[in-house]
Amino acid sequence: MSKDQFNTGNIVWKGYEKVLFRLAFIYFFLQVFPLDWKYYRHLFSLNWFDLSFAEIFQIAKYTPQFVSGSYRPQDWGLATFADWIFILTVAVIGTVIWSAVDKKNTHYTRLYAYLRILVRYRLAIAVIAYGFLKLFAIQAPYPSLSSLNTPYGDFTSWKLFSLSLGIVPGYQAFLGAVELLAGILLLFRRTSVIGATIIIFFTGNVFMSNLAYEGGEVVYSFYLVTLALFLVVYDGKRIINLIILHIPVAPARQALVWTGQLKIARLVVKSALILVFVLIYGFSAHRSSVKGGYHFTDHPGIKGLKGLYTVKSFTLNGQLRPYSLTDSLRWQDVVFEKWASLSIKINKDYTALNDNVERVPIGTGSLFEPAGTKGRVYYSFKADTLHHTLRLTNTSVLGDTASLAGSASFTTAPGTANPATDGQLSYQAGPDATLLLSGIIGGNRIEAVLEKNPKKYLLKVSENGRIRGTKL
Amino acid sequence: MSATEIRAELEIVEDSADQPVSGPGLGKTTDPVSGEIPADAPPLVWKDYQKIAFRIAFIFFVLMTIPESAKWYTQLIHFDWTSLHYRDLYDIARYQPSFIRGAGYYGYAEWLVLFAVSVAGGIVWTLLDSKRKEYNVLYYWLTVIVRYRAAIGIIGFAFTKVLPVQMPYPSTGILNTNFGDLTAQKIYWLSISIVPWYQVFAGIVELTSGVLLFFRKTATLGAIILFGALGDIVYVNFAYDGGVHVYSSYFVLFAAFLLAKEMPKIYNLFILERYTVPVNFDIHFKEKWLKTTRIVLKTGVIVLFLFVFFYIQLNNFLYDPYKQPAAKGVSALRGYYQVSEFKLNNQVIPYTPQDSLRWQDVTFEKWTTLTFKQNKAVPLDLSNGGGSPMRDINRTFEIAGVGGGRRVFYYEADTINHILYLQDKFRASTGLAEGKKKKGRRSEAKQDKGKGQQNFLTDQQEYAQVDAAGLTDRRLKGITAERALETKRNRMVLHYSTTDGKEVLLKGINENKDSVSLVLHRVDRQYALKPSTLSAGKY
Repeated sequence: MSKDQFNTGNIVWKGYEKVLFRLAFIYFFLQVFPLDWKYYRHLFSLNWFDLSFAEIFQIAKYTPQFVSGSYRPQDWGLATFADWIFILTVAVIGTVIWSAVDKKNTHYTRLYAYLRILVRYRLAIAVIAYGFLKLFAIQAPYPSLSSLNTPYGDFTSWKLFSLSLGIVPGYQAFLGAVELLAGILLLFRRTSVIGATIIIFFTGNVFMSNLAYEGGEVVYSFYLVTLALFLVVYDGKRIINLIILHIPVAPARQALVWTGQLKIARLVVKSALILVFVLIYGFSAHRSSVKGGYHFTDHPGIKGLKGLYTVKSFTLNGQLRPYSLTDSLRWQDVVFEKWASLSIKINKDYTALNDNVERVPIGTGSLFEPAGTKGRVYYSFKADTLHHTLRLTNTSVLGDTASLAGSASFTTAPGTANPATDGQLSYQAGPDATLLLSGIIGGNRIEAVLEKNPKKYLLKVSENGRIRGTKL
Repeated sequence: MSATEIRAELEIVEDSADQPVSGPGLGKTTDPVSGEIPADAPPLVWKDYQKIAFRIAFIFFVLMTIPESAKWYTQLIHFDWTSLHYRDLYDIARYQPSFIRGAGYYGYAEWLVLFAVSVAGGIVWTLLDSKRKEYNVLYYWLTVIVRYRAAIGIIGFAFTKVLPVQMPYPSTGILNTNFGDLTAQKIYWLSISIVPWYQVFAGIVELTSGVLLFFRKTATLGAIILFGALGDIVYVNFAYDGGVHVYSSYFVLFAAFLLAKEMPKIYNLFILERYTVPVNFDIHFKEKWLKTTRIVLKTGVIVLFLFVFFYIQLNNFLYDPYKQPAAKGVSALRGYYQVSEFKLNNQVIPYTPQDSLRWQDVTFEKWTTLTFKQNKAVPLDLSNGGGSPMRDINRTFEIAGVGGGRRVFYYEADTINHILYLQDKFRASTGLAEGKKKKGRRSEAKQDKGKGQQNFLTDQQEYAQVDAAGLTDRRLKGITAERALETKRNRMVLHYSTTDGKEVLLKGINENKDSVSLVLHRVDRQYALKPSTLSAGKY
């Protein structure tokens, strides 16, 4: 190898190749290189000495939002196809000017090599970010007790997708491992074509799933697929010659040879990226998974209360309401989760909150529980275990308003209770192992006697094999 | 046959090294990158380990490909080829070694046995044929066998997704069953069923891999897709206890065999960045009768497994989706109901969550099924609800893997006198295959008949319930055959009446010979889950 910075030889590109390249260069450069000023404001607002994995996840999700405005301070949003059209328009105009001005260059081998590096790293960071979420099985958590007690038809398809993946953490980890492997292969030039090919299939499937299940990441997953396609196109002819036409193939020529200070700079940048997006991010994602993930609040529930309860007796504003499956006011059953949430089944029609974008909330409660389901009313609570009271926040309703505002997280600050939906209950043990709840909720005075339902779930009973003669 | 004899018939075409190829966008590269350039002819002398590995692989893949059961061959005669059912071709395509009942080693016992046989055979072969230098011709033919076996098998699988019947959209009964009351297997199947277009997409991916495998140039691409897609399915089956892990592994193994010879090339070109010359050994027939035979066979396979298969699968999708009962349910009744009043032996039983006798809700499916929920433990059918039952009563997808106290009854309706003759879809022993093997069951069935457990419909009437376009020979024979295997089931006879469909009255005798009387109120249930946009069957 020569000591030149790159191998030029006597390369001459065809006219259309040059035009196509100029277009691709501007387009992909704008798509992957962070030029959006909001992004830097976002970066500088972070505490870099104590990065949470949620923050790195958001950094990894950069998509330029020159036109659309889904950006919010807590959550770097996602671009829409409008942004793509804008970027494409800029690229077309840029190509015209560039073609008019630049008559000298016979090829752009070097620029092409730089662009591939940018795209490779952009793609690698994105898929590694998602890979770890799946590897540690926190992207789709195991269904909550409330979800187990919700009819199948009362979930949206997106929620069912998440729940269905949630019951098999081992499979989720396998998917994460594949995604992660592809990401790591992308970090190295020689293996990048294999990584990109895996991504085309893997993220291509994610894209199809987003379309089918009405997920919120249609544009983003497609974005990643286009990056992978761009990378594979470089080797496209070689691949076709090798595995389809079966004719001899020369390898790609290394366009850039790093020497001297550049070599050191390259090493430093590469190491830093790997440190932040693989090591630090990976470890903090693991820490999160140990704590039970980010979809459910990390405030613990009340000890010994977790379970499904039948509402044996229910009094609303002093009036006793008997058992009924049709009464739209009576509570039918109540679920206390392991964490500080409870849900109530009432025969009432709710609209399902649609939260179909993967968000890792920073510090506040997630709205994952009420999202995509209408079978139950969800409350998060703050428990005062000394006085046996629960301060309830109706997250189902919060979800409705939050989804309008485009946020999937909430903060329960004191004094922000909404009297029309929230409430305060006191709880105490009653006779015959019952639990008595009383207080005001949504402006109504309620008294309820709950009895634990020792229900066995087929999902869990059949976990160790589907045994003939199972009775449930 | 010796090598020379073969060569007399064949012209061996070897790809020659053309000029080095330039990468896109790089313009013309001048010189091939320095590095060793391997000989472009097929290696005429194989290494010893290659020869031994090949002998073992040859025996193994041939054994894996040849159906060992007599039934596979006899069915070819029994099929009415003028009135094909999708399952006829499916049964031809779906073959895997299964000579050990309840095979161990996670179901891979047959593979291990065949592998052991192949190793032994390989050793004997090595001893007998020690002077042989290469197996280029035989390797070519083994690749052909593997390609076609994998292609036909995966196409058989693919069509049930391309025309989505493998995972039917949840019945009303399942929509009203809690998520925790389903098995993991059921949850996975349902998760695909709710997105029929995705199911179509998955089918097209499988179909594409199969079609690509038919042609030698595109075979590698087909094998890559097959390996990726079926590799995922193997993992899915282990994770969700789907029970199809062995058969899906079968394809992964076949794809891996095809990819094995490509891997060194890919490694050489992309990882080592060396000049790579593919070594190909293609056979082109010279003699006319051989050429014609090849074209006829290939065309025959493609016509039968692509075009005929698509047509009969379309027929199945339109009129007789194999996991759903095919006959129409009483249309005035279809829907979801709350039970307003429930009387057992003329005594009103009010709703309480603890009561084990009262019906809590009722569904009438669009086909001939009534379900109701009771707070009572019942034995469950934890199968996949698949197979190829021809009788609607034996199509159990709606009960398989579903708990939560939901009882599911098949009915035959006397629409003139407004009477439903109901039979429990659950049977203690569900497997039909099991029933066929045991002679004891036949006598049991006779006993049942002796007890007067007749059906309201005759065989012919049951058969004719399906749209005339969807009738096949297999369904007719199947109905009679399955009726002969019937065992005792819970039965009910209910008289129904409704004025406007909002309120339905049911009155009759339940499975315990008690009189029941119900007032049902239709609920306009608004599900969060959207209805299917591509539904099989004609109801």
